[in-house]
Amino acid sequence: MLNSLCQPVEIFKTEHGAVYQCNGRNCFWVEFAGGKTSFKVEDFLLLKQKVEAIDVQSMANSTTRATDIAIVMPLRSERCFVLTLTDVLNFRELLQGAKAMLDLNSLIYECLHAMAV
Amino acid sequence: MKDLLRLRTSLSEEIETLLNEQIKVEAHSSSVYLAMSSWCNRHGFDYSAGYFQKQSGEEREHMLKLFNFVNDLGGRAISPEVTNIPQDFESFRSVFEQALQQEIYVTQQFNRIADRCMKARDYVTFQFLQWFLKEQVEEEYVARRALELFDVIGEEGTGRYEIDKHVPKIKYDNE
Repeated sequence: MLNSLCQPVEIFKTEHGAVYQCNGRNCFWVEFAGGKTSFKVEDFLLLKQKVEAIDVQSMANSTTRATDIAIVMPLRSERCFVLTLTDVLNFRELLQGAKAMLDLNSLIYECLHAMAV
Repeated sequence: MKDLLRLRTSLSEEIETLLNEQIKVEAHSSSVYLAMSSWCNRHGFDYSAGYFQKQSGEEREHMLKLFNFVNDLGGRAISPEVTNIPQDFESFRSVFEQALQQEIYVTQQFNRIADRCMKARDYVTFQFLQWFLKEQVEEEYVARRALELFDVIGEEGTGRYEIDKHVPKIKYDNE
């Protein structure tokens, strides 16, 4: 449940999940696979790197059951993501989309700030 | 909306990754130099062993300089995993050839990062890299001069002994 102090701003949304920014606590909320979890900026970026590092090609090529899922356990979080191949792709799309929007926000912020000075 | 990314660090993801890769390159270089030092020691080239050990220490200092920079800018410096260090070498000469090749590679890497910094308009990191680019002029000079001793002195007779003795005396004065 989102904290009432947080005024979450939607960063990026797909049909599988969404990422919100909380300006009150300087954190991100990741909504995916039926749960919402908050991450500090660094932890959010680490989560993205971990999901990007999953070898989807091996998952697709391998016939062993053990490679049917990938488990991502972010540090400093109680959330554990158990992902199928399609989950990985959907999660990756969500996190990369959110990161692209955050980069865009940085550019806009820089431009607006430069104009204001 | 707040710019949380910029509040965390002034390094872009791309530049942070490149700097972390370079931290690994420097750590690898340091370990390779240490292996060279050990090889020289085993084969009786005492002066060169000392020279390579000193080089190893310098590479580690370079690594820490990069490491601290990444952390100082709010980035995430990664302690590198160093593997595949060659422990044996073909000959005394090949040790110095490999040392020069290693320095050339390091220079190329710094050029590549500087190029990316220019394109990303990250002039803070670009400025920081100037020290390393200047340092590489000296590093390559010393490594090249050391290798040239093999032709200048020759390896016959007491040649290798003379080469070994001259290696630590090579200095770069054009500062």
